[in-house]
Amino acid sequence: MTNYIATIGVEVHVELKTKTKIFSNSKNGYGQMANSLTNVIDLGYPGTLPTLNEEVLNLAIKAATVLNCKIRKEMHFDRKNYFYPDNPKNYQITQFATPIGYDGYVEIDVDGKKKKIYIEEMHIEEDTCKSTHRGEKTLLDFNRAGVPLIEIVTKPCMSTPEEAKKYLEKLRELLLYSDISDCKMEEGSMRADANVSIRKKESDPFNTKAEIKNIGSISNVGLSIEKEIERQAKIYDAGETFKPQTRRFDDKLQDTVLMRVKETGNDYRYFPEPDIPFVIVTDERIEKVKKEIPMLPDERRLKYQELGIAEVNANKIVLNRSISDYLNNLLDEKINFKTASNLLLGDIQAYLNKNEKEITDTTLTKERFIDLVNKMDDNTLTSKNLKDILDKVLESDKSISEIMKECNVENITDDKAIKEVIKKIIAENPESVADYKAGHDRAIKYLMGQVMKETKGGVNPKMAMDILTEELN
Amino acid sequence: MKEKLSREEVLHVAELARIAVTEEEIEKYQVELKKLLNDVEKINEVKGYDDEILIAPWSHNTDLREDKEGEMLDPKKVIENAPRHSGNYIQVPVVIGESEGA
Repeated sequence: MTNYIATIGVEVHVELKTKTKIFSNSKNGYGQMANSLTNVIDLGYPGTLPTLNEEVLNLAIKAATVLNCKIRKEMHFDRKNYFYPDNPKNYQITQFATPIGYDGYVEIDVDGKKKKIYIEEMHIEEDTCKSTHRGEKTLLDFNRAGVPLIEIVTKPCMSTPEEAKKYLEKLRELLLYSDISDCKMEEGSMRADANVSIRKKESDPFNTKAEIKNIGSISNVGLSIEKEIERQAKIYDAGETFKPQTRRFDDKLQDTVLMRVKETGNDYRYFPEPDIPFVIVTDERIEKVKKEIPMLPDERRLKYQELGIAEVNANKIVLNRSISDYLNNLLDEKINFKTASNLLLGDIQAYLNKNEKEITDTTLTKERFIDLVNKMDDNTLTSKNLKDILDKVLESDKSISEIMKECNVENITDDKAIKEVIKKIIAENPESVADYKAGHDRAIKYLMGQVMKETKGGVNPKMAMDILTEELN
Repeated sequence: MKEKLSREEVLHVAELARIAVTEEEIEKYQVELKKLLNDVEKINEVKGYDDEILIAPWSHNTDLREDKEGEMLDPKKVIENAPRHSGNYIQVPVVIGESEGA
């Protein structure tokens, strides 16, 4: 750590989960053959005209809502002019003067303290084509050209790399849960830039800032900010200064490096996009979109804890969207949620990870799951027996009872039957009975082991222990 | 009102437009571009212009497009239209400035 106070702002680009592109009806897809998802609009052919995708507007409204932004009711698009091969129109259509969302916030939790990260604005824009540099040539793939983006810009209100990471995790979680984006940083559907400057005291004016572009993971955002603070501190400590600059995080060096950017590059001459008239956002549209927002992560965590699930498990459930949705479908049921969460996060999650499946890929319907939870809860099914039948539970449509019968793991719940087994064990082990009566605790454990062995784990352990104790006394 | 743009202003505009200009042209554009700017300035004199930003000559809401896939171009045709290509990629020379735009 250095003796400086850091000021950090973060800009995030997020690709929206639409079927088609923002201004054309070609497919919005990833990982397909280069230049196979384009039409004349994406390629910037002369004479073509953009038309705004309604779903883009809806998803942007949704994003503005979950980020607690105010929503602009009347807006337009602007042209950002620059020459670069990633954009053959020589301008990018974006929102400069009238961003759809503004004055929002996201609440994060740092060391148990809540902090609001303020959002300056969020706007809609088109993605550029993807360029890959190979030695002396650059290869262009226009599949990404025209993919809808929202850019979310925070105020410079963060002061540690940890806060920036927490903010990004929270942002990602909110956008994922509201189905706005798949937020895969490794595929570029979520990309982060960080602005960093440092100063000695709060009362000092802001110093020169450096922008770190296109950081590929949330942990690297933290690391690159940390490294950048150290770099700037060294410069100031040596009595030197530096020019505003654009840097990038180098994975191999694990440090930020200066990027080659033309100094005249930042003169974009924005002006209103004349090909797209005003966009009016009606209250009806906002209300309709708001209704589509599912229960968000913070509310889910609270709800789960209210139902008796431990905080650590509530957090784990929210990390897995499909498990969380599955559980949400059960919220009105009268079941033991502690047992339900243990099941979901334990044996079921292990099965899903091993088989690379989502819970929705299994045959575990709501009704069968409730049955399973109840059977576990009243000890009709033991954890040991569950392991033996789990594959069948998740892969066949048969009832839990049927599967238990088939696999011969039916618990003996009949008092009389258990008593018979126990009497037999007592008769066969007179030495252990004598030990027990002489006060050796281990003897009863041995006898219980024999009962379990005899029944192949098929008795309710608590019930068996009660009866055994009763019989011994 | 000055009669012409400065030399630096002309060079800046040329740089943004990625065009090379000769000494002769610089002098010519110093005068010509200033004339154009003066003409555009006249629009500011129109009364009420500042009240609202004029984007389109009509004020109704834009027509939105349904999020439904349409026909796309054959990738072969896309590539044929570029001067150079490498596999299915369009190929261009490396340009300084690793990430412009978005």
